[in-house]
Amino acid sequence: MLTINNLVKHRGNQEILSGISFKARPGRVTGFLGPNGAGKSSTLRILLGLDRATSGSALINGKPFTELHNPLTTVGAALDGFGAHRMRTGRAHLRWIARAAGLPQSRVEEVLEIVGLTNAAGKRVGSYSLGMGKRLGMAAALLGDPEILVLDEPVNGLDPQGIRWIRTFLRERAASGNTVLLSSHLMGELAETVDDVVIINHGKIVADGTLEEIIGNHSTLEEAFFDLTSEHAGDVV
Amino acid sequence: MRAFNAELSKLFSLPGIWLAFLIGVFAPAVVAALDSLAQKEEIIAGVSTRLSEVGYIGLGFGVQGVIILGVLAVSSEYLTESSESGGGQQITTSLTVVKSRFHFLLAKAGAVTVISILLCIVAMMTIVPTTHLILGEYAPAFEWTRLIGAVCYWTFTALLALGMTLLTKNGIIPLAVLMINSSVVSFSVLLSKITKLAFYLPDRAGLEMFMFTSDKFHTPSTGSFFDRFHTPFTGGLVMFAWVVVIFIVAAIVFHRRDAAS
Amino acid sequence: MRVSSCRKITQILRAELDKLVTLPWICLTIMGTFILNLFLAATFTSAGLQAAAGTQSMLNIGLASMRYLQAGFIILGILATCSEYTGGQIRTTLTTIPWRGFQLSMKYLALAVITLPAAFIIAASGILYTFIMMRDTAVGFEIDTIIEALVGATGYLTLTTLLSAAMGALFRRTTPALVVLLGYYFVVSPLTIDFLPKFRSYFPDTAGSYMYIPPSADEINVLTPIQATGVLMLWTLIFITAAIVFYRRRDA
Repeated sequence: MLTINNLVKHRGNQEILSGISFKARPGRVTGFLGPNGAGKSSTLRILLGLDRATSGSALINGKPFTELHNPLTTVGAALDGFGAHRMRTGRAHLRWIARAAGLPQSRVEEVLEIVGLTNAAGKRVGSYSLGMGKRLGMAAALLGDPEILVLDEPVNGLDPQGIRWIRTFLRERAASGNTVLLSSHLMGELAETVDDVVIINHGKIVADGTLEEIIGNHSTLEEAFFDLTSEHAGDVV
Repeated sequence: MRAFNAELSKLFSLPGIWLAFLIGVFAPAVVAALDSLAQKEEIIAGVSTRLSEVGYIGLGFGVQGVIILGVLAVSSEYLTESSESGGGQQITTSLTVVKSRFHFLLAKAGAVTVISILLCIVAMMTIVPTTHLILGEYAPAFEWTRLIGAVCYWTFTALLALGMTLLTKNGIIPLAVLMINSSVVSFSVLLSKITKLAFYLPDRAGLEMFMFTSDKFHTPSTGSFFDRFHTPFTGGLVMFAWVVVIFIVAAIVFHRRDAAS
Repeated sequence: MRVSSCRKITQILRAELDKLVTLPWICLTIMGTFILNLFLAATFTSAGLQAAAGTQSMLNIGLASMRYLQAGFIILGILATCSEYTGGQIRTTLTTIPWRGFQLSMKYLALAVITLPAAFIIAASGILYTFIMMRDTAVGFEIDTIIEALVGATGYLTLTTLLSAAMGALFRRTTPALVVLLGYYFVVSPLTIDFLPKFRSYFPDTAGSYMYIPPSADEINVLTPIQATGVLMLWTLIFITAAIVFYRRRDA
C-alpha cells in the first residue's frame, strides 16, 4: 500500500508539486499519468526517499521509505535511466545490490533470466541499448521479490515483445496481491495494463479513480486524458 | 564557420568553463601579486635575480585555466555525470550535425584557441596593473615579444590538453598530468635532473618563450632546470611540434574509432 | 539510522567493496600509480646517484616520489565517490540502502580497506627499489626508521584518499573535484611556502608530510608524526562530516 498525502515540493521558487494525494492499493496496478514535466518523476523520487518533500508525506505501508528495514524486499524501484555505472557489467551491478540486501548471488541469475538479459550480463552497461537498460532496471527492482513495485516509464524504449512481457508480468504481480505503481505517458499501453488511474498536471492531481471512472463518457483513456489536462491547463495559465 | 560557432556556444554553456575562466583570469594576478610582494624588498635593494620574471610567473600558473578549458571541451562530449542521463553521450549528436569529423576537430580546436588567446590577454591586463600597483617604479617592463610568447604557451597548452583528452576520452589523466606538470613540482623538473632530453618536453620548451630570460647572465650553465636552454623561438617551435604530433595521432585515432565506443 | 545489526554492516560493507572492485577505473588507477611510482623511484634514484653519492639518505630518496604519488590516490578517492553519479547509479544505491549517512560511512570504510594495502605496497616498492639500487652508496640506515616512515606514508596516503573521497562527495563531479584538489596540492600549497610559512604546517598536505618524513639535522619538523597524524585525521574527519551532512540533506 502506497499513500501519498498532500505532497508539496519547491525547487528554488518554483512549485513542482502542490499538494498531491493518492493511494496505490495492493492487488491493483495503478497508472500515474501526466504530460512531461507534470511532476510524475518528482513524486516517485520523493516516495523512494531520493528527494525531500517540502511538506506532506509519502508512505510505504505506513512508513517513509528511509525507515524501512529491508527496502529492497519491500519496494522494487526502476526509475528512468539505467541506474548503473557505465563501466560495470550488468551482472556486477546486480551482484552488489544483492549483496547489500543480503540476498543470495543465485538470485542475480534468476532475475537476469526473468528479464531476458542472461546473454548480455557480462557486457558493460555502457554498451547496452535503451531497452536493455530498462530490462536491467527491472532486474534490479525484482531482485528482492518485493511486494510493491514502483516503475517510472517501464515500457519506454522496450521492443514489442518487451512491452507485452511487461504488461502480462505486471498483471500477474497484481493478481497475486502485490502493489504496482507505474508512471507513463503512453495512453494506449496504459489502458491495457492498469486498474486505477491517477492523472497529474502542473503538479496537481486532476483525476483519480478506476480506469472505467476516468474514461467515463470519453471513447478512450487518451481522449479523457487530453480533456482533463488541457481543461486544467486552461485553469492554471 | 557554422561548426566553429556551434563549438563556441557549446563551450560557453558548460558550467565547468566558468571555473576555467576564474582560474585563467584571477590566478595569474594573485600569483603575480604574491610574488611581487615576496620579492619587493630584494627588488628595491636591487639584488633580485628574478626581476625579469616577476609577473610572468603568474602566467605560468594561470595556464591551469586553459588546461581545464581544453580538457572540458572534449571530455564533456563523452562523459555526463548527471543523475538523469541514462548514458547520453553528446559526441553522437555532435558528429551528426557536422560535415566530417575533421571539421568537427578543426572547429573545436579553433574555439579553444580563440578562447585561450582571449583569456591570456585578459590575464595580462590584470597582471600588469597588479605588479605596477605593488612595485611602483620598480615594476618590470613588459616586452611584447614575451607577451606573445605567453599567449602561444597558453594556446599550445590548451591544444595539448584537447589532443590528450581526445585520446583518453576521459578528462582525469590529462588533467592530472598537465596540472601537475605546470606546477612547481613538474615532472619535467625531475626528469631534467637525469637527462637533457627533458628540456624538449612541451611544457619546459614552451616556458622558454617567456621565462628564464635573465639567468644566463647571472649564473654559468649548471644544467639546472631554470637555465635557458632554447631561444624563445626554438622553444616555441619544440612545443608546437608536440602539439602537431599529438593532434595528428589524436585525429587518426578519432577518425578510426566508433563515435560512442 | 535504524539498523544496528552487525550483519547489516558487513552486508553493506561488502556491497561497497564489490562496487569498488568491479569498477575497472579503480583497478587501473592503483596499477597506474604503482607503475608511475616505480618509474619515479627510478628517476629519483638515478638523480640521487648522479648527485654526490652518499650525501642524501636513502630513505629520503625512496620517499621523494610521495609528492607525485599522492596524485594517484587523490584520483582514487574522487573516483570512488564520483562514480556514484555516473549513469544515475546513485538512485539505485539509495533505493537499495536508504540510510545515507550509514551508506557513505561504509563507502569510506570500504575505500580505506582497499587503499591501505595498496598504499603500503606502493610506498614500500619505492623504498625497496631505492634500497636495492643504492645498497652500496647509501649511508647508514636503520630498519626502525624505515618502518616508521613506511607506516607514516601508508597512513598519509590512506587519509589523503579519504579526504579526496569526501571532496568528491561534496562536489559530485569528477572534474571540479580534481581541479580543486590537484590545484591545492600541486599549485597552491607549494606557493604557500613563501607566503604562509607558519600556518602551512597545519594544512593537510604539509602536516601529513610530517607523518613520513624522518626528522633530519638541518630541518626541524614542526610536528611529531603522532601530532601530524592527528592534524591530518582532523582535516579528513571535518571533510567527511561535511560530506555526510550535505549528502543527507541534498536531493539525490
